[in-house]
Amino acid sequence: MRGRLWFRRAFATLPVLVVLVLFCSGTALAAEGSGSGLDPIVPNGKSPNGHHIWQLYLLVSIPALFIFLLVEGLLITVLIKFRRKKLPKGYKPPQWHGHRGLEVLWTVIPALILIVIGSASFITLQNDYTAQASNNPDIDIAVTGHQYGWKFKYPEGFTVDSEGLTPTPMVIPTSKLVRLKLNSTDVIHGFWVPDLTGKTDLVPGYENVTWVKVSQPGEWRGECTELCGTGHYTMQLRVKAVSQSDYAAFVQKSLADQAKSKSSPSPRAPGAAPAAPAGSPPASPSAGPTTR
Amino acid sequence: MANVLAPPRPKSYDDTFFKPVSLWLTTTDHKLIGIMYMTTGMLAFVLGGILALVMRIQLAQPNLKVIDAETYNQLLSAHGTTMIFFFVTIFMTGIANYFVPLMIGARDMAFPRVNLFGFWLIPISIAIYYTGFFTGGALDAGWTGYPPLTTKQFNPGLGVDLWAASIILWCVSGIMASVNFLTTIVALRAPGMGFSRLPLFVWAQICTSLLLLAVGAPLAAALFLLELDRQAGTSFFVSNGGRPVLFQHLFWFFGHPEVYVLILPGFGMVSEIIPVFARKPIFGYTSMVGALFSIVFLSMAVWGHHMLTVGMNIYVETWFMVMTMLIAIPTGIKFFNWIATAWGGSIDFQIPMKYVFGFLATFLIGGITGVYLSSVPVNTQVHQSYYVVAHFHYVMVGGSVFTLLAGTQYWFPKITGRMLNKTLGEWSFWLFFIGFNGTFLVMHTLGLEGMPRRIYSYPGGFGEEGWGATNMFITVFSFVIAASVLVFIYNLVVSWKYGEPAGDDPWGGNTLEWATTSPPPPYNFEKVPVVRSFMPLRDMREDGLRPSLASPE
Repeated sequence: MRGRLWFRRAFATLPVLVVLVLFCSGTALAAEGSGSGLDPIVPNGKSPNGHHIWQLYLLVSIPALFIFLLVEGLLITVLIKFRRKKLPKGYKPPQWHGHRGLEVLWTVIPALILIVIGSASFITLQNDYTAQASNNPDIDIAVTGHQYGWKFKYPEGFTVDSEGLTPTPMVIPTSKLVRLKLNSTDVIHGFWVPDLTGKTDLVPGYENVTWVKVSQPGEWRGECTELCGTGHYTMQLRVKAVSQSDYAAFVQKSLADQAKSKSSPSPRAPGAAPAAPAGSPPASPSAGPTTR
Repeated sequence: MANVLAPPRPKSYDDTFFKPVSLWLTTTDHKLIGIMYMTTGMLAFVLGGILALVMRIQLAQPNLKVIDAETYNQLLSAHGTTMIFFFVTIFMTGIANYFVPLMIGARDMAFPRVNLFGFWLIPISIAIYYTGFFTGGALDAGWTGYPPLTTKQFNPGLGVDLWAASIILWCVSGIMASVNFLTTIVALRAPGMGFSRLPLFVWAQICTSLLLLAVGAPLAAALFLLELDRQAGTSFFVSNGGRPVLFQHLFWFFGHPEVYVLILPGFGMVSEIIPVFARKPIFGYTSMVGALFSIVFLSMAVWGHHMLTVGMNIYVETWFMVMTMLIAIPTGIKFFNWIATAWGGSIDFQIPMKYVFGFLATFLIGGITGVYLSSVPVNTQVHQSYYVVAHFHYVMVGGSVFTLLAGTQYWFPKITGRMLNKTLGEWSFWLFFIGFNGTFLVMHTLGLEGMPRRIYSYPGGFGEEGWGATNMFITVFSFVIAASVLVFIYNLVVSWKYGEPAGDDPWGGNTLEWATTSPPPPYNFEKVPVVRSFMPLRDMREDGLRPSLASPE
């Protein structure tokens, strides 16, 4: 009987132990930084719009953690305090049917919290997600998705093809506002580079727009986020930010490569549309599609 | 003292399952149909679970090739469809089929033959869906089946057509069941049972039926239009001429309320179970009903939050964001009312109550991540990632499945006349609680690090070095869930045959189903019960009409 009691106690503490182990290993691994699989918050975007998402995430986290701790705390209190076995014999629970004041309280307080979160989200939405946010881009890149890869068409008139598990990066210059015009030739795809900013879908038939402005050089991973067929998982994505001079060199090299391949007969030349001239006027904000 | 409302133990359904199939084909008894629904749902649960385990093995390490990518896509679509359409909805309908007539003191459903027909559409619907695996490949575009991926051009196989046919049949069955429930509840209540005295589970079923009635037809219509695109060459959803995103609007106009079709009956069960085990009446009956109806109306105005990355106008997105945030308020009211019901009670932590507390502890996390997801900018970062997978499993497993298991534990004695084994119950609860949280908690962090959902494999390098370890952890815990489900089913089977007798009212219940025998006779009640409050059994106990409150421990 004694042994059995010991076993029951050990059994009861098991969940607590599991949670502790989970928590400790999680924090330890998260401390190693990105790539651990255990980062507890969204990445702090290298682009201002991604950075604003990170700020918003932290803002939501304050009431979220408070409510989480409050409710779980109340549940644990009920578990400990109001167990029938622990209560004196003959305890008669009070027969409350409700309490107007309390019910109003837990209607109004969440509403106030949500007004704060909603307003902050709306401000970010207006600043980063309208056409105005990328109205005067330094560079316009047309990103076209297909099963299963990407085409990045640069304003200078060359196109970079990217396919497969080790994709060719989309090269962008640092400190420049890069507007991405997203479209698809077949099914819906999703453009997402977590370390830069949020995702935008590539929907066949209309153009979506998003933008990035990266201040430091680096290369980041991304992936198609909308199930697009058998090879969906191979639709990897890389974005590489380089200094202005390196970018100029990249443009020169790409143009030279393209001239070389054009002089030799290429089967897919007729399908390629003429590139937009550099510095083409941006779409007017009212007529433009919703910006991402 | 003899039981006033039911005769001595009548001929029971104990051995129903071993009776000829003709009984299952011809019965119009809501109780047997309810059991048939629940059994179908449980089998679908096992099937969907096996599919999930295969996917988890495939994802355990980077670059694995346990199955091929095409099979993986078929499995993830079948897992989603099976769990949402064929398991949770069907199991919930089964419980409601069994207990709504009992709780309102009715003899049967209003349309018993429609009830039977509606049930039989479900196994047919499941069979049609799974035929796809033997005819060249089932649906492989996710349970949402977005065109253009599901149009003829990109998906010429039969799988999409079978999926559409199966789900259209499912919608027909759902609409039949909804009409039946609403008519039963409106027309067949016992004398004295006004709407202000309905048990909250019955209120929840009214809301569920209203929702399914409103949104089942649009889903069927969307799938019908998709079939026209595929077979008749129309262009509703194809990219040249049609709008692929229109399908998403139609689908999610069903899809989001469907989440509440899955969870509202669970809310109802929790509202029944807590008062019984805490020995207190429900806190804020009126606001509970009000919250249910606010959820019904709001849930039909939030579908766009599944589509915040498709490029809608920001003011439309703001509307969906605000509506989504508003849903948090009635859900919060229900949460705090449940806690207030338990507060100050004399709580007997029997297994059903443990499941209810498991529900409260885990569903809370799904609710909170829902607020993160409602904020449009945050949504664009975490949408379509494992964060969302974690979120909706916390909502649907933490919410619906925990409550459904609680309900099964709570009502099993009424259905079979026998108690479930307690030790096995403890094991199945703790294994499920630990396995569930172990599986889905770290999925949040994977998603935050950029792992998209619905990928067959991941390279495991360049910023994803740790994904392998985390995914292995998830896979191991998913098998803990499987173990708990096995224990649970073993408990059901063994206790049905050998469990100790339950008596009419093992828990000291508040609602009318506990007034009759366990299992109830075919006609449910010998005398028509008369109702004076929303806790009729408590009234009878206070009047000295009930033999005892003794718990069978």
